[in-house]
Amino acid sequence: MQGEPTVGLYVHVPFCERICPYCDFAVVAARRLGPEREDRYIDALLAELERRAPDFAGHSLASLYLGGGTPSLLRPESVRRVIEEAQRHFAPLAPVEITLEVNPSSVERERLPAFRAAGVGRLSIGIQSFDDTRLQRLGRAHKAEEGRRTLAAARAAGFDNVSLDLLFAGPAPQAEPGGEASEVLLDRDLDATLEFGPEHVSAYELTLEAGTPFAAAAQAGVLRLPDEETAAALIERVEERLTAAGYERYEISSYARPGFRAVHNQRYWLRAPVLGIGMGAWSSEPPSPGAPHGVRRANSRQLETYLERVESGRSPAGEPEPLTPAIARGEAVFLSLRRREGLAAAGFAAEFGAPPRHFFAPAIEALTEAHLLTESTDGDLTLTARGRMLSDSVFAHFV
Amino acid sequence: MTEIPRERIRNFCIVAHIDHGKSTLADRLLEVTGTVSARDHRAQFLDNMDLERERGITIKAQTARMKYRAPDGDSYVLNLIDTPGHVDFSYEVSRALAACEGAVLVVDASQGIEAQTLANAYLAIDAGLEIIPVLNKIDLPSAEPDRVAREIEEVVGLDASDVLLVSAKEGKGVAELLERIVERVPAPEGDRDAPTRALVFDSWFDPYVGAVLLVRVVDGRLSVRDRVRFMATGSEREVQQLSVIEPYPCPVASLAAGEVGIVVAGLKTLAEVRIGDTITSRDGPAAEALVGFREAKPMVFAGLYPVEAEAYRDLKAALEKLKLNDSSFAYEPETSVALGFGFRCGFLGFLHGEIIQERLEREYDLDLITTAPTVRYRVVPKSGEPFEIESPAALPEPGDLDHIEEPMISATIHVPSEYVGAVLALCQDRRGTQQDMAVHGSRVQIRYRLPLGEVVTDFHDRIKSATRGYGSYDYEFMGYERAPLVKLDILVNGDMVDALSLIVHRDKAHSQGTELARKLKEFIPRQMYEVAIQAAIGTKVIARTTVKALRKNVTAKCYGGDITRKRKLLEKQKRGKRRMKKVGNVEIPQEAFLAALKLGDE
Ligand SMILES: Nc1nc2c(ncn2[C@@H]2O[C@H](COP(=O)(O)OP(=O)(O)OP(=O)(O)O)[C@@H](O)[C@H]2O)c(=O)[nH]1
Ligand code: SF4
Ligand SMILES: [Mg+2]
Repeated sequence: MQGEPTVGLYVHVPFCERICPYCDFAVVAARRLGPEREDRYIDALLAELERRAPDFAGHSLASLYLGGGTPSLLRPESVRRVIEEAQRHFAPLAPVEITLEVNPSSVERERLPAFRAAGVGRLSIGIQSFDDTRLQRLGRAHKAEEGRRTLAAARAAGFDNVSLDLLFAGPAPQAEPGGEASEVLLDRDLDATLEFGPEHVSAYELTLEAGTPFAAAAQAGVLRLPDEETAAALIERVEERLTAAGYERYEISSYARPGFRAVHNQRYWLRAPVLGIGMGAWSSEPPSPGAPHGVRRANSRQLETYLERVESGRSPAGEPEPLTPAIARGEAVFLSLRRREGLAAAGFAAEFGAPPRHFFAPAIEALTEAHLLTESTDGDLTLTARGRMLSDSVFAHFV
Repeated sequence: MTEIPRERIRNFCIVAHIDHGKSTLADRLLEVTGTVSARDHRAQFLDNMDLERERGITIKAQTARMKYRAPDGDSYVLNLIDTPGHVDFSYEVSRALAACEGAVLVVDASQGIEAQTLANAYLAIDAGLEIIPVLNKIDLPSAEPDRVAREIEEVVGLDASDVLLVSAKEGKGVAELLERIVERVPAPEGDRDAPTRALVFDSWFDPYVGAVLLVRVVDGRLSVRDRVRFMATGSEREVQQLSVIEPYPCPVASLAAGEVGIVVAGLKTLAEVRIGDTITSRDGPAAEALVGFREAKPMVFAGLYPVEAEAYRDLKAALEKLKLNDSSFAYEPETSVALGFGFRCGFLGFLHGEIIQERLEREYDLDLITTAPTVRYRVVPKSGEPFEIESPAALPEPGDLDHIEEPMISATIHVPSEYVGAVLALCQDRRGTQQDMAVHGSRVQIRYRLPLGEVVTDFHDRIKSATRGYGSYDYEFMGYERAPLVKLDILVNGDMVDALSLIVHRDKAHSQGTELARKLKEFIPRQMYEVAIQAAIGTKVIARTTVKALRKNVTAKCYGGDITRKRKLLEKQKRGKRRMKKVGNVEIPQEAFLAALKLGDE
């Protein structure tokens, strides 16, 4: 890593108005987030920040991401406290990307100007779809109209860096009488997206996560997702239409207009240090002599455990996971390959002592021969279009 | 310790059809005689292998010695051998019989006589044993003791009024049975002053002491430190340990004629152990060895290959060890183009094969690929001597073949009369020829001549399902018969996968080829390339299907803590791949090699 060391701060806010049936994030349902409960949580967050900041001493702040959960359920003054404290602990690397995840609802909409005043510069809005039936089937709390209004309110509040989440390949609608093809629905969602014209789009398919109601329903045969063919066609459709409209697919499921890539998210794919605070948050601590590839650490996913530990001055984190060279090499490959630029052989060699080919020659050969991977003369690796579609099959060769 | 007089010894075994309650009855005998205290007790005490306990069946015969005080005050030593009931293990039964003078024939009072009841009863009668018929499970409401007793008289030829009524579950009739054993089973004969002769009728392997031999002393006696000779192998050894099983091994100084016990004599390798061998003393040897056993002949063959080539040596070592515990299976090295180095193994039957494979995987922690079971065919070439093959891949080119002969059996099937139609249809479908049919009350005994190859895998299950569990069958080998058989090959992306070849009847080749290709399609997961599966006879392709190329395998989101979890998912995907065999550039899962077993399932 060159230049001044930086840190990305991730702040997890676990509260959601209700839990979506496909969600396996660290969340707790809070129909109304009372001020007491909110303050207690924010106090804990800041106490944890105080405690953890020394681990990242000398790092300046490159990004701050308030994710969840639904962080827009917080009052603007809470958000302000978090931002101010973060900048007190870490010298801001101007300009700092400060993102807030927002769900479309009237309360949150009204707070957008105040969030902006508190220092938030970027919004990530959980639109998911512009179709009421689809939203309902996904178990989302909002209606399409609310989504549209939230987007308009964001612009009105002066946000010029807005990301929008699109969730496609949801429960197969054509399986129901009168249902429309997934392709038709997606096209309408893309129309609406382009009409609004966000700076950034995260477009991802619905994934069944073990232990969620959706996974159980799929197991029981009452929920059907589009088949592999259809899902692949949808992915291609998203890419085709968004790139035609001037977005760059800079990561497998991320699209941005020039200059608007997500600074914070990219840290994960570049394996840059991230300090995660809050219930269930993960941190990637910078390399140290004892752990040359860094250490990963996760906080408790139980709200009460998290709060009690922090409040009693203990660490809310579980066992640290030191990254062995083999693990780190595998992660370096599969995380970098998610990005358009792929894996740079020189950077890899600087960390691991030799270029990728030294460790992975048979895999690289098999995968290039199968036209899933491209290897430049310098040994840099990138996924081909087919490789992006089969990325997990490719990545499995490196872990 | 004073020697037990011969007249006070009774050696007997318990024989029956599968599940009629032999092991449960053995439990009660151990309990009533105080051999096993209630505290130590668990059901089917003598079934001590994990697999036996899980499957609820006896696989290996087990011995236990009990002390019994008869009502008249005299004490006896009873040696019990619990035997397996499944047809695959009848070799275990025949060896046990050689150590006994009597057999308790157990018949389930609600099921009546079944195929192995008869088969085992005849084995015992032929071995000259005194038979004690017992009707078990009389506690069941569905028990029909009178009817079944009449059946025993009619079919087996034993006096119905002699039949004891027992509930092994509740312990009813067990005391009477013990009295009956002492009264009816003859004391062992044999001359304790004659030169020593002891029959080795079972053996297993102990990692510390080597081969452990189970013997019946017929003449003279064996004592610790005796110098002995094994008459068949010619090896000479010193007796290091002698024990009796009560039911835990209990050391003794000597074993005299009439007794059954364990001998440890420093035998470490397979070559030194032969079941059926006679142990005599080196210095005053007997003139003649005892009659041993006919070697168990494997009937069913399958290839066993390590999933990972490096495990070949481990597999070899495991097979050697297992063979010491089970002399009835055979193995020899085999090479497959598709699977590499492995072994062709011979088993007494399909269940036996499954058990061996499971033991290898569990007890020796091996990952194995098993090929579809086959039988031994006789090949008559256009020129040269006829020979036998145990693997479809070994079949010569059609041009070099004069003809092929397949092994035939005579199957005896017992069914309640209402299921006769279903059973006849099944036998007909399996290319059988009816030999005769006899009615005993409400049950019918049907005999069919059938190709062994048509029955090895699922015939037993099919009979069970066609008769709601009431049918049973036993078979006898009847020699070879010429048949229009052809080799069915499977090609994956144009390459023949030798391990998937089958030998099938010409008339069934087309339908089986089509079905096999379809089954394989279900087993082979989508991969990076399209996979073409073809079934062919010679150069003629008779069926084809394709597994379409994987279109998409991508997880949408990945950031934050997802990274560790994501990596673990990828690692899991990779482990799954390792359990597949790569043939050309196609990954074939283990189960696919057994796809042939699923033919006919829907
Ligand atoms: N009701 C009842 N059930 C019995 C009796 N004896 C045995 N059983 C049951 O019958 C089943 C089979 O008993 P086992 O003793 O394992 O039979 P087995 O003859 O040793 O079976 P294999 O060794 O596999 O041939 C078990 O579920 C027993 O609990 C009995 O007297 N009454
Ligand atoms: S809003 Fe987002 S974080 Fe909350 S439950 Fe739904 S998917 Fe999960
Ligand atoms: Mg048993």
